[in-house]
Amino acid sequence: MSLTKRIDDLSSRRDIRSGWFGIITFFFLAFIILPTVYVLIYGITDFQNLSDTVLDDPETMSLIWGAVFTSFSLALLVTIIDLIVGVPMAWIMVRKEFRGKKLLDTLIDMPLAFPTAALGFSIGIFWGLPIDAPVPPGALGIIASPYILIMLLHIIFTYPYMVRSLSAILEQIDQSYEEAGMTLGASRMTAARTITLPLFRAGLITGFILCFARSLSETGGTFIALITIGQADKFFTGPTLIAWFKRSTLAPEEVEAILAVVSIILIVTAIIFLLIIKFVLGRINVPFDKVWPRWERVLSRGMVPKAKDAISFVWLFAIVIIPSFFIFAYLLVPSPAEMDWSGLINALSFSFMVAGVVTLADIVLGVPMGLYIARHRDKKLAQIIDSLVNIPLIVPTTALGFSLALFWTSQDLVTNITFLVIMAHIAFTYPLVVRNVAGAVMEVDPSYEEAARTLGAKPFATFRTVLLPIVRSAVLAGAILAFTRSLGETGATVAVSSEANTVPVYIVNLMNSGDYYLAAVSAMVLIMVSFVFMFALRYTIRRDGGGY
Amino acid sequence: MTVVELKGLSKRYGSTVAADSMDLKVEEGEYMCILGPTGAGKTTALKMVAGLIDPDSGQILFDGKDYTKVEPESREAAMLSQVYSLFPHMDVNGNVIYGPRIRGWDVQESQDIVDNMLEMVHLNRRKDAFPCELSGGMQQRTALARALASGSKVILLDEPLRALDARLRIELRREIRSLVKAMGITAIHVTHDQEEAMVIADRVAVMRYGKVVQVGTPKEVFDTPVSPFVANFVGQSNFFTGKLVSNGDYSVVENDMGINVKARPCQLPIGSEVVVAIKVGNTQLRTEEGFLIGRVERILYEGVTIHVDVMANGKLFSAKLPNRKYEEFSPGDEVVVGWSADEATVFPMPEQGLEEELRLE
Repeated sequence: MSLTKRIDDLSSRRDIRSGWFGIITFFFLAFIILPTVYVLIYGITDFQNLSDTVLDDPETMSLIWGAVFTSFSLALLVTIIDLIVGVPMAWIMVRKEFRGKKLLDTLIDMPLAFPTAALGFSIGIFWGLPIDAPVPPGALGIIASPYILIMLLHIIFTYPYMVRSLSAILEQIDQSYEEAGMTLGASRMTAARTITLPLFRAGLITGFILCFARSLSETGGTFIALITIGQADKFFTGPTLIAWFKRSTLAPEEVEAILAVVSIILIVTAIIFLLIIKFVLGRINVPFDKVWPRWERVLSRGMVPKAKDAISFVWLFAIVIIPSFFIFAYLLVPSPAEMDWSGLINALSFSFMVAGVVTLADIVLGVPMGLYIARHRDKKLAQIIDSLVNIPLIVPTTALGFSLALFWTSQDLVTNITFLVIMAHIAFTYPLVVRNVAGAVMEVDPSYEEAARTLGAKPFATFRTVLLPIVRSAVLAGAILAFTRSLGETGATVAVSSEANTVPVYIVNLMNSGDYYLAAVSAMVLIMVSFVFMFALRYTIRRDGGGY
Repeated sequence: MTVVELKGLSKRYGSTVAADSMDLKVEEGEYMCILGPTGAGKTTALKMVAGLIDPDSGQILFDGKDYTKVEPESREAAMLSQVYSLFPHMDVNGNVIYGPRIRGWDVQESQDIVDNMLEMVHLNRRKDAFPCELSGGMQQRTALARALASGSKVILLDEPLRALDARLRIELRREIRSLVKAMGITAIHVTHDQEEAMVIADRVAVMRYGKVVQVGTPKEVFDTPVSPFVANFVGQSNFFTGKLVSNGDYSVVENDMGINVKARPCQLPIGSEVVVAIKVGNTQLRTEEGFLIGRVERILYEGVTIHVDVMANGKLFSAKLPNRKYEEFSPGDEVVVGWSADEATVFPMPEQGLEEELRLE
């Protein structure tokens, strides 16, 4: 009897089905959610210790609050800028037809394929004033402020999230509403502003939360950009503070206490802040009703719309694309006589092993979870899991990594670094797979599966032969997203252990030891690898999309 | 073949009752129609038979054996949904052979069955087409072929004709019935269209509020309805309230205006409050010799028939008459509304009132 046949038969039994679901839920709660927020429990039980070593030390506390404030103000500023430049760009992508639109579509997604560690380096040498890294020809070197530099960096990797979330919603809003408004006498801008924008809210909230959480969470790129301009020990965001302390020479107990405080503050404030955003943006009443016909008519005609489109393009190229690719200019810098490739090869194979195991675990444990959420929306348990799944997406990965390592080591359960890194990466990539699968399955009419069941297909056979082929591209998309995110992640890895040798961590180490050329080469290799995966993703989705 | 029995089935969704201690027995090879207004619980009942919804209480028996806890794939009861649910990633052949393939039958044998089925539904030339390339009628026939090819002993049809236009609906319902009958399969067909139910079914079960109100042949349900609701839902009726005066070869009812009319005999006590129902098609309009005098309000030409609304004793009466009578009436004419006594049914006054009884939702 073949394996699939055997699973088919097992899946026909209710007790086996609930057993399997029990295992998956247990895994999710015990190995993803609990470790992610474990530091909060630690904070309560060890409060005395924390307050003795950290809370009562005004110098450390002001450092922590300063870093956290920097993180939040940065994230907010970056998100608002993304919103302002993202709306016109989403409009262009959805409502306009022109030659080269496919190319533009790919370009917008580019930053997603860049590991942030590589981006941080690229931005640092393009805009910033590097202290001793060799600068390739063409660099601007005009930004001295670390705050503005980091802002420019964060804008790049959050930009695609905003444009994508906005255009996804815009695509669903039928243009006929706007056309109806225009036949009733509204100018193009009045129609867009009074009719389409109010329908936009869901996309706004998604885009806002994605950008905000991503910016709040980013570690590797920020840290590397700061190293490049020699500010890593002076200017901190919440996550880089963790990364910095993790490498410091302080006593381990003291480091642990400091990191615990930073993590707790980051996790709690992130969750509260995002709840507020969701609540406020969902309810706020922008005065959309007021109309200024004459002015809006003027703004709808002639040069104004053209200028708006032109600015969108200039922004995409000058702020997003060119600075990202600038790292390839390193090919013009003369290489050192001797290079040691073994470190890079080791790091690459470790990174691939981690990303591979993580993706596999995400698929095996995440696909059934996504399925469950999508198909039992009326059940309380599914709704609770549905909200819990978002927690690892919101919690900054550095805090997540620290919390997770604390969970496993404090109980002396496991101390193996490879295991811890894998668990940490599963925690923040698992939601990507679950979200993708749940979203896709919700779109599929359950009657397909019902028909298959009544025709004699057992539950697992139904999944294999009917549902999976229909949602295949969503599963693939989730898997590739998880893989590339794992490959490019710095914060969670560093927070677990400063010895875990993934490629981004390897790059950070090279930068710290002044080995800039090799760091640049490693970053380029990482970019190329990620590119291959992203194009594979686009290819599968496009091929599937036109299938039926 | 299979006898399907529903015994005391109940299902609630929060405060909504989808099935309320529902009983129904479908005989071997019988074509049963479950007829009811939207929200009566028809689809829930069908899905409970298929095993796709677990009842809160009650039993489902197949040939006397308890199937309540049996998984859908082991029931051999194929369902055909109103959206057809043809698998979009498989062509017509792939869809129809799905049942035999998933049950692991011999490949050649399966293909023979499928070829045969496709021949019967006239789709043998469109074997390689994907569902999105087929018209609504072809999709419907593919879904039917798929359900019939799966070797099921029961076929469950959930409003299978709903998405089609009127002409095709009439053609396909004939085809469905003859195919199902030819294969001798037990069929349960859910619909809210009384005309469809009448022509396709051996027996009709009228459902309301999660209960079966009446089961019988189309003629029984039409001619001898058990309640004003059935009288109105299966073929529209005229209603009025009154008091039972006498009972004998025929019963006499005094209406609210004090006029006596004749109706079919009944078992109710003299003097009780009653409701009288006369099918629209059995209502006659004459110049003399009737029960109630009224005035013509409007006349609609419907093709073969005409529809005449008459206001008599403060109540609106409708009548369906052959179209040759179109010239005989014009608005404002005085007419006499009449019927033969054995075509008027007397019901006890419903507890919640007549209006509530006739409500469709």
